[in-house]
Amino acid sequence: MMLRALSADFLKIRGKGLWLLIVIAPVGLVAMQALNFGLRYDFLTKLYAKDLWGGLLDNILRFVPIALFMGATLVSSLIAGVEHQLSSWKQLLALPISRTAVFSAKYTITVLLLAVSCVLLSIGSAVLGIALGFPTELPYSDLARIGLYPFIASLPLLALQLWLSLTFRNQALSVSLGIAMAFGSIFTGNLGEFCPLNWPLLTVEGKHQGVFLGAGLGLGLLIMLIGLLHFNRKDVA
Amino acid sequence: MNEFVIRTHNLTKKYHDRAAVNSLNLSIGRGEIYGFLGPNGAGKTTTIRMLLGLIRPTSGKVEIFGKDLQKDRLNILKKVGSLVEYPSYYGHLSAVENLEAIRRILNLPKSRIAEVLDIVSLTKEARRSVKGYSLGMKQRLGIASALLGSPELLILDEPTNGLDPSGIQEIRELIKRMPKEHGITVLVSSHLLSEVELMAGSVGIIAQGRMVFQDTIEHLQHQASSTIEMTVSEPEAAVWIARDSGLTGQLQEGRIHFDGLSNTQVAGLVRRLVENKHDIYRVEEKRKSLEDIFMQIVGTGGSL
Ligand SMILES: Nc1ncnc2c1ncn2[C@@H]1O[C@H](COP(=O)(O)OP(=O)(O)OP(=O)(O)O)[C@@H](O)[C@H]1O
Ligand SMILES: [Mg+2]
Repeated sequence: MMLRALSADFLKIRGKGLWLLIVIAPVGLVAMQALNFGLRYDFLTKLYAKDLWGGLLDNILRFVPIALFMGATLVSSLIAGVEHQLSSWKQLLALPISRTAVFSAKYTITVLLLAVSCVLLSIGSAVLGIALGFPTELPYSDLARIGLYPFIASLPLLALQLWLSLTFRNQALSVSLGIAMAFGSIFTGNLGEFCPLNWPLLTVEGKHQGVFLGAGLGLGLLIMLIGLLHFNRKDVA
Repeated sequence: MNEFVIRTHNLTKKYHDRAAVNSLNLSIGRGEIYGFLGPNGAGKTTTIRMLLGLIRPTSGKVEIFGKDLQKDRLNILKKVGSLVEYPSYYGHLSAVENLEAIRRILNLPKSRIAEVLDIVSLTKEARRSVKGYSLGMKQRLGIASALLGSPELLILDEPTNGLDPSGIQEIRELIKRMPKEHGITVLVSSHLLSEVELMAGSVGIIAQGRMVFQDTIEHLQHQASSTIEMTVSEPEAAVWIARDSGLTGQLQEGRIHFDGLSNTQVAGLVRRLVENKHDIYRVEEKRKSLEDIFMQIVGTGGSL
């Protein structure tokens, strides 16, 4: 039943600019570094002479958390907005489909869309490295990691944003909170390992990568379940 | 008609201790068109939301097709089509795509989309994005969406709201066909009695959350007593002549009003007046309109 709702959701997001957002974000991140490395090629290649790929990925990684948080915020809001816009909830939820299926489909499509973005980021990074003439043995696992790990660690924020966006018709609340958290994540570094906003970076750097992956997955799941329980019970206007 | 499609038992919904719907006992028989009437804010939409499981009753129970809505929601909803308040649609999609989104969830054959588009006569416009539709077309798309799953029960909340007279007429004809051609039971809400009296067999009137009248439309029409109004050349004298033959009329603005006269009484009175050389200009029957009765029921909080 969830798959049927999901397939309907894919139809509903046509022409909503979501796919564009999904493509633009990783392309933007890569383009930024193309500019960075293009302008300061000699300086940077000397700086990272020992590990050119590592240097590139490190530079990209700086911007991955903020991009993920923004992405999760905007995608959640756009996904929810499709139903809020003309109060389609009353039509959708009066169909013979469980609310759990409806909610799970929304969650799944949001995760899938962002996952596409992350895969594109990995591919884009590789393309950029090759274009910059870096060694041809690609660091496959590092490339995959930069796309996948921070994403998993941002699932708690995604679940929270999706829940808020689905609950409140007015998207101002959820979007401003999401953007505040995205920019806030630049400054939360010294709050330590317990602040979930720091987790995306910690899954790539630092000693306990596995712990933060697990924490991200677990907290994300927990928030999603709370959101689901609430969605199942709430009155539909 | 003891087979009920919808039955509610003391259905109540409170918002902050104020009852929007109060101990409502609705009963709708199979194959009928039920007009659910009430002024703005009476609780029609709130009731309909509860019938669809969109909101939880504070207390009371909803039974549809003889099953408890709380327990059997999905099975019941498989056989229900609905349109609540104003049509929901995805403006950036065409009518076909809108229906396709629902079709995927209902898991129906694709051909069904063309069928419902044909029923509501939207086939020609079906590939345009719905944003540019007129209100009437959106409303028809809403009905098409409701019909998609071949429901046995159609719940339409003010489907003619905001439509022009021809749009209203079109929707009304569409609704009237439902029981006849498709065997569908219809619940249609409205705040105008005149709108449902032409299609509904039964009516329920709700005011301030309470059901104040529920019966057949004939029964309601029965409440409409008539008066005979006469305009004659010498009204004062005519009142005396009428009184002679045992009929009491009131004189108002030069016209005489009689309550509940039979045909023979009217004929006899006219004959006597003519014999007495009165000129009779007009004999009119004034029916209290259903709308008057409606206003009266709603206004008094329902003493009928
Ligand atoms: N979510 C809510 N919170 C608080 N009060 C509500 C809510 N929904 C409805 N009400 C109140 O319940 C009452 C009934 O509203 P409802 O929308 O059911 O009326 P209605 O008969 O459909 O009216 P209309 O003809 O205007 O559509 C109104 O007084 C309304 O203010
Ligand atoms: Mg209403």
